[in-house]
Amino acid sequence: MRGNHRNTRNALFVVAAVSAAVAAGFVGYGWKPEILDAPSPTGAFTQELVARGEVLAGAGYCGVCHTSDPAKPYAGGRGLVTQFGTIFPTNITPDPATGMGSWSRSAFARAMREGVSRDGSHLFPAFPYDHFALLSDEDIDALYAYFMTRTPVRQVNQDNTLPFPLSIRFLQTGWKLLFFRPPEPENAILQTAEARGRYLVDGIAHCGACHTPRNALGAEIAWRAMDGADIDGWTAPALNGNTPSPTGWSTSDFYNYLRTGSSRLHGTAAGPMSPVVHQGLAKLPDDDIQAISQYLVTFGGGSSALQEAAEQRSLEQDAAQSASPLATLGERLYVTACATCHFNAGEEVADARPALGLNSALSLEKPDNLLHAVLEGVSAEDGKPGVAMPAFRTMTDRDLAEIAKYLRSTRTDLPPWTDLEERVARIRSAGAAHD
Amino acid sequence: MARIGDVRHSAGNLTRRSFLIAASGAVAAFGFANYASGSMALPSGDEIVPEKTFEPTIWYSIDGNGVVEVNIIRAEMGQHVGTSLARIIADELEVSWDQVRITHVDSAAKWGLMVTGGSWSVSQTWPIFSKAGAAGRQALIERGAELLGVPEAECRAREGKVVSGDRSIDYGTIVKSGIVRTYTSDQLAAMPTKPVEERRLIGRPVRALDIPPKIDGSARYGIDARIEGMVYARPVLPPTRYGSKVVTVDDSDARGVKGYIRSIVLDDSTDTVPGWVMAIGETYVAAMRAADQLRVTWNAGPTNEVSEKDLQDHGAALIAEGKVGSILDTGNTNTEAVFGRAEHIIERTYTNATALHFQLEPTNALAFEKDGIFEIHTGNQWQSLILPTLAKALSRPEETVVLKTYMLGGGFGRRLNGDYAVPAALTAKALNAPVKMILTREDDCRFDSVRSPAVQTLRMALDPNKKVVAMEHHAAAGWPTEVLAPFFMPKGANGIPFDPFSINGADHWYEVGAQKVRAISNDLARATFRPGWLRSVGPGWTNWALESFMDEAAHDVGADPVEFRIGLLKGTGRNAGSAPNSVGGALRQANVLRTVAERAGWGNPLPDGHGLGVATSFGQEREMPTWVACVAHVSVDRATGNVKVERLTSVIDAGTIVDPGGALAQAEGATLWGASLALFEGTRFENGQVADRNLDTYTPLRIADTPPLDISFVDSREAPTGLGEPPTTVVGPAIANAIFAASGARLRHIPITAEAVKEAIQP
Amino acid sequence: MTNVQNPISFSVNGKPVSTREAADTPLLWFIRDNVGLTGTKFGCGIGMCGACTVHVGGRALRSCVTPISAVDGGEVTTIEGLSSNASHPVQKAWSEMQVPQCGYCQSGQIMQAVTLLSDFPEPTDEIIDAVMAGNLCRCMTYPRIRAAVKRAAAIAKEAQTHG
Repeated sequence: MRGNHRNTRNALFVVAAVSAAVAAGFVGYGWKPEILDAPSPTGAFTQELVARGEVLAGAGYCGVCHTSDPAKPYAGGRGLVTQFGTIFPTNITPDPATGMGSWSRSAFARAMREGVSRDGSHLFPAFPYDHFALLSDEDIDALYAYFMTRTPVRQVNQDNTLPFPLSIRFLQTGWKLLFFRPPEPENAILQTAEARGRYLVDGIAHCGACHTPRNALGAEIAWRAMDGADIDGWTAPALNGNTPSPTGWSTSDFYNYLRTGSSRLHGTAAGPMSPVVHQGLAKLPDDDIQAISQYLVTFGGGSSALQEAAEQRSLEQDAAQSASPLATLGERLYVTACATCHFNAGEEVADARPALGLNSALSLEKPDNLLHAVLEGVSAEDGKPGVAMPAFRTMTDRDLAEIAKYLRSTRTDLPPWTDLEERVARIRSAGAAHD
Repeated sequence: MARIGDVRHSAGNLTRRSFLIAASGAVAAFGFANYASGSMALPSGDEIVPEKTFEPTIWYSIDGNGVVEVNIIRAEMGQHVGTSLARIIADELEVSWDQVRITHVDSAAKWGLMVTGGSWSVSQTWPIFSKAGAAGRQALIERGAELLGVPEAECRAREGKVVSGDRSIDYGTIVKSGIVRTYTSDQLAAMPTKPVEERRLIGRPVRALDIPPKIDGSARYGIDARIEGMVYARPVLPPTRYGSKVVTVDDSDARGVKGYIRSIVLDDSTDTVPGWVMAIGETYVAAMRAADQLRVTWNAGPTNEVSEKDLQDHGAALIAEGKVGSILDTGNTNTEAVFGRAEHIIERTYTNATALHFQLEPTNALAFEKDGIFEIHTGNQWQSLILPTLAKALSRPEETVVLKTYMLGGGFGRRLNGDYAVPAALTAKALNAPVKMILTREDDCRFDSVRSPAVQTLRMALDPNKKVVAMEHHAAAGWPTEVLAPFFMPKGANGIPFDPFSINGADHWYEVGAQKVRAISNDLARATFRPGWLRSVGPGWTNWALESFMDEAAHDVGADPVEFRIGLLKGTGRNAGSAPNSVGGALRQANVLRTVAERAGWGNPLPDGHGLGVATSFGQEREMPTWVACVAHVSVDRATGNVKVERLTSVIDAGTIVDPGGALAQAEGATLWGASLALFEGTRFENGQVADRNLDTYTPLRIADTPPLDISFVDSREAPTGLGEPPTTVVGPAIANAIFAASGARLRHIPITAEAVKEAIQP
Repeated sequence: MTNVQNPISFSVNGKPVSTREAADTPLLWFIRDNVGLTGTKFGCGIGMCGACTVHVGGRALRSCVTPISAVDGGEVTTIEGLSSNASHPVQKAWSEMQVPQCGYCQSGQIMQAVTLLSDFPEPTDEIIDAVMAGNLCRCMTYPRIRAAVKRAAAIAKEAQTHG
């Protein structure tokens, strides 16, 4: 219910903004022509170019959004549920009728950099053209070459479910006028790893699309870059100085996490972050992951001085847990159902035993990341590859709420989460609907 | 009927005969008479030619290789019972242990009473197997002497051979030569057994035969039974154990479950499972999920609002009502006169919460009809009890129903009540197809045969010299035997039948002058649930009350709790004991008490907040006493009331210990059960059903709560008694008495919670 | 969530299996009823007794609360696949110390103990208590489990020294 109210309010904002923009006479600005150039012949692409495109398509998670059936890659994705409505990523295979088969290189470049479709209609900013605008000409070429050489799949795009007037694509003009400040394509040769990292993070990998909070109209708030945001019912934690991680992130933490799906102190990449690592960044060479990591620490989330102290504190917290008759329900459940895998002892936290005292899930404003992981588990394909975490759906809402309450109160100094049982119930039923 | 082999599993799962052959060259020494399996529908192609065997009694046979196969009618539920029992025969028979195999047999009339409970197995089997083994030895010596051509008197048996001087002939050769010698029961009864000095296996350590398959995953429990074409079932349970009637069943949601087949409302002429609806599925997952989706409405039975408090209040009211109940014959039961003129009277009431068996393997059964026989494949502790019920439910003669034997994933008394076999059988009959029914954990707990909550009031009269002159013990509880096996109920001194398993323990060996023991059946408990025998049964609660009370009495008169008890264990009159099982009587109880006090450092100074408590018991029944005493060392946190058990020291006199390793394992488990029931586990009735149905809120002892144990056995040559339960009975009161010693808090309800301790600590 | 149109594939004790059973089928019942390996047991169904413990990727996991979709592409090991002839140090120690009583929980205890020892090769009582806290033994063989875990650690160490 609350969501609906917000949608209505947002819609009013849009109408107001649009009215203002119309008053300024922006119609000329908003109109874009259809591009009718012929597409490049597929024979024109070198193997090297296509291969480079494949890496970039991975790093941009194109398939994560644009694929619903693994047997039909890029033929259109499952709906993205946004606060405004559901948007269905389109068919980007080279099928002439339903995909991009008729798109020229310049039409593709315009879409990537300006968010305008071949026919001149405006794309919704769920498609992160505000990041892709940074891509060099060569990388645009490579991506174009890659997509035009895929197997064409005939699959008509699904209609979005945005409410009127948000559904009017032309009105996206107003949004762009207000928020779209496209970066210049980065065609210079990048000298440092950090610069290369910035190019990848802000460009193709579009990390900020999830980790940077957005304003009421869905635009990233530039001055709060990497400050953390909600996405798909999860929280993409802050990567800047506001990181919820008690240990902070070092370059090697980032590297291990992004390269392997887990880091010793931070646990595993679950939920929406899992495909980012395993389907997206997996294609990038180690040097690029290193570059990304070096750039990410510049946001200020690294505080390696604290790491040792935080780790010791976590070990002490584990040593203090007990299932004695005095224990609260949450503690007893944790000790008997969770600690068997998460307990640590000795000198340091073991790589294979994620220490929840160090996991940012406990320090977020919302318990949702924790509850998602507990209710849905982590499959062998996600997180740390090959190992899995069970889905504790069979426990009652109360039991899971008590576990969350216990962990929050013993592993952090933060105020308790509220409405835990209701949140468990909500995430549980959302998961059931998803299935 | 042709014997059918199991071609899918190579060893261990074969028929009795083929198993023997397979076993002769293999390490497998543990078998079952039969298993259901995918290949059972197909008769085995190669009939196995029976070889020559010698079967002096129904209990064992010897084949041409000298291999001895012992038939075990007791269920294997963790007590390594086959190992213990086979040792008795093997020792008397004079065979080496590696020649011995055991087979857990299916139900059949020839085995007589087929029950595994009461800690009876070794004690009851001992005389039978000793004599059966001795008879075989004698027969083999007779025939061996004949074959050797020497007088029988010159021959002796050793290590599977009959030996005369430097000549010998092995048992296998004797059997192959042909030997037919059977014994009547009178002959067996008169058969002399070996002197204690000549025992070679009894009392020696041995590796249990049932353990290897429990380490590699090959052990087969009831839940593992399967047969081609079976469908799965899970019940939808009614709101009350009795009296609920199904009104409507709506399966429109269940039909959305993949693999759901149908639902069945059971029609049970035995009233074992009234109001049960079965969800049937192609897989267990389908049945399990469909059961959750079935919408059933019932007219609930009359107990659908009963609470734990109602049950306890009703028990207390029955005790207060002087006339009800059965008075046990304890000699002079005229206590009224003594109490009337007593200088000093102590009276206390003790209670215990409802407790669940929570045997880890949920109840289950596979049922189907084949070749005119209805087969029930399941783990069970009392086959001969449930067979008549099954026959009645299926409307067929008892001889055409067979319970096939499997390992039990925990018994603890739950599977003495075979009620779970009935719904599986009824469903198989209704579907005319093999049905595998498994209860989920929650189902299993909901209709567990729980240990009844009990209320007990104890009174003691003392003369001016603080001498005990009379004692009364009034106990009200739901009686399992009254519901499940009323033919096992003797009559009390007042002519009213009583459940011995619900009052045993109260008829103690202390000399207290006039003694009245009154057993009362809590009829509200009986109506609300199916009372169960739970490990240590009656003595589990009677001794909780008795030994807490003796401690209170000792403190009341200013005596040391150990000395106070020893002073009453005089071993005279009816407490002198008698052959075969209770030779020595109460003096043996005094002995374990003295010994445990010494081992545990009774009387030594302890840190502040620590205390020792003692309790003793004769175990399960006066006719088969196992003398036990326990000292609990606890520490109490006065601020929180938290109790930590620092150590449990127990001394046990169970007569001859046949299998020391197995005996110690039983004693360890029983002792920790006592601790669990005292401090960790208990539930309550709410709206006619138990409130705790899984491990989130039902909290048996886990490894971290396990205190160090010091358990020792009295070296004895007396007849062996029981071990699976007696060590349980002393732990609860020993802990409560230790809490009193440590903190001054007297607890009269188990399980003892930290809050209760905190509240009971005097400021 | 794995797409229903595609089979779920993983290995059990080194043998590949592929299935179109519902993605949310608990791994426990798939192993027992579809693969036919019954050493893995059903106890509580909520991941709190440990009787259903198997290994996925070498790590102990409660199979009763793990959907088969979660092990797609993974390697599952059950008690039957832990070793041949019960030769794993943990199994040897379990036999030496005569740990099992009814045995129903012991497959899970053993599988959990194997992970324990891989993480903590020289476990203290505190570590054993913490890691084994999720494995209920209703026969209460706990004193022997503690002793056997330590004995297994010693056997493994001996094997390392001599191997």
